[in-house]
Amino acid sequence: MSEMTNTFSNQKPVNVGFGILIVLLYIFLMAPLVMIIGASFTNGMMIEFPPQGFSWRWYIEFFERKDLVDGLLMSLRIGAITAVVTMTVAMMAAMAGQVISGKLSGWFQLGMTLPLLVPELLTAVGLLFFLYKIQMAKTVMGLQMGHILMSFPYAYVSIAAAIRQVPASLEEASASLGATGWQTFRLVILPLVMPGLAMGGIFSFINSFDLYTISLLLKPLGGNTLPLALFDFLTYEFKPTAAAAATLSILLSIGGVALVQKLVGLQRAF
Amino acid sequence: MATVEVRDLRKRYQDFLALDGVSLKAESGQLVTLLGPSGCGKSTTLRCLAGFLEANGGEITVDGESILGTPANRRGFGVVFQNYALFPHMTVAENIGYGLKLQKLPKAEIETRVHDVMKLVRLDGLRDRLPRAISGGQQQRVALARALVLKPKLLLLDEPLANLDARLRDEVRWLIRDLQQQSGITAFYVTHDQSEAMAMSDMVAVMKAGRVAQFATPREIYQKPVERYVADFTGEANFIPCQSVISMGDGRYEIKAAGAKLELSGVPGIAGPAELLLRPEALELTSPSAGTFAGKVTKSAFLGAALHCEITLQDGSVLKLTAPPNHQVAPGEEVGIAIDHSHAWLMPEVAP
Repeated sequence: MSEMTNTFSNQKPVNVGFGILIVLLYIFLMAPLVMIIGASFTNGMMIEFPPQGFSWRWYIEFFERKDLVDGLLMSLRIGAITAVVTMTVAMMAAMAGQVISGKLSGWFQLGMTLPLLVPELLTAVGLLFFLYKIQMAKTVMGLQMGHILMSFPYAYVSIAAAIRQVPASLEEASASLGATGWQTFRLVILPLVMPGLAMGGIFSFINSFDLYTISLLLKPLGGNTLPLALFDFLTYEFKPTAAAAATLSILLSIGGVALVQKLVGLQRAF
Repeated sequence: MATVEVRDLRKRYQDFLALDGVSLKAESGQLVTLLGPSGCGKSTTLRCLAGFLEANGGEITVDGESILGTPANRRGFGVVFQNYALFPHMTVAENIGYGLKLQKLPKAEIETRVHDVMKLVRLDGLRDRLPRAISGGQQQRVALARALVLKPKLLLLDEPLANLDARLRDEVRWLIRDLQQQSGITAFYVTHDQSEAMAMSDMVAVMKAGRVAQFATPREIYQKPVERYVADFTGEANFIPCQSVISMGDGRYEIKAAGAKLELSGVPGIAGPAELLLRPEALELTSPSAGTFAGKVTKSAFLGAALHCEITLQDGSVLKLTAPPNHQVAPGEEVGIAIDHSHAWLMPEVAP
């Protein structure tokens, strides 16, 4: 904070306005998080802010509710599989994208990020029809496919950016020193893109964890992801258990971001 | 040690002909320079040699055997890149030992060979540094060591000095030449710097629009160029058009140029129009009556070690020459120019 005040006093007044804007923006972004985390520790019976007293009771209740815990486990499992699959496929796609040149390259990039551009609902409806056609509607596998599809662009963008940073001459140098394509990939490319790859996987996981619309349409019979379970829950009971669940989700996301920070920070490559 | 022959190499990109029949030969232990401006095909030729590009036609043989079917990673050639292409996540020693590790050699042997080559390129004490923590000159020496440690049959250098500042350039240049001669490795060297090409090479190929304009020793390239393009690219040069050319056979000619009659050597078999090449060092200022040519000084500049003059001849052509620094010339003065006939050279006029 002292640094900020310092900057303010040294700069022209126009920067004070800019600084205030940034602070307001942060308040706007952070307020819901602060409120939901605060509300989860209330001792009262309603989701409210500021909380009344302090207790862990809603966390205990969350873990005692089978529907919510099942939803959490389902979301974690689907998110993990989504992360692994999208990392692998996006890595291959990004490497292919490197080789494609000229006009085609632009179209390829666009195609890879298409799920971001098409409204989620449309993708979900289209996929649902397709899954009915191949007799896989309302199965966990179908839901998993939807999540992979929706999360792929996040992994792709991050990994493609990392691969673009690796000069082509490194691959040529490696080949001239006797490496096969696989050796070059394992010893040169993979270590260099690892931060981007990990970031892509974590983004993909977080995105999957958060998907609602597509999960609603594709959810398997008798199965719920955490966002669906929470929404069902809130429809009938407006209890701080939901706030506790939300806080856990936030913690998971922050954990992911911290992991990225740590991985990228530890990398000595760039 | 290897003899390398490139015959009629062709490479086409969509609508651009990058190589239009390149032929070259490097004898065992020679350093051959590919010299030319950007876009002339010198790097493309090198990349075909390395196996990074596939040629559309022609042949490359090493010791008589074709290598076009062999992928880059099995050619056993060392490549040094303009941007060094060091692996940024590996230390200096790991970079140099990379190829040895791929060959699955025992750790102790890798250790000694890396140590020895590091000494050779004077990198002692830097083995655990990362590439980004050492200077450009050191990085290029790591790249050189990384290629040399595998004892390659052929060393390919793609403008290895282009990213270095002038002082380092000199140092690394001599290091490359010394190592190449000590080890007797055949080498191809790509550059657009004529002084680099002159100083280092056994043979120089001057390239022009996907072809080899001339392939000869540095001395021949400089003193006996086959066309104006080559002469221009290899140093300061004056050209004077000839009014008449009479061939006397054996590459000797009698010509008339700028009001003077001369007998001199030239490219054998000139039939059409020709021009006279006069390097600045073949010219000497004399009194107006004594020289071969007479003209007027239009510019003179004192450069310290020499005096640089421009003289306009009677027919309007301009000659640049270097005179001793204490020579007295003033612009507007009438002077004569004496020619060292052994350094005058006749070339056919060819479209540039």
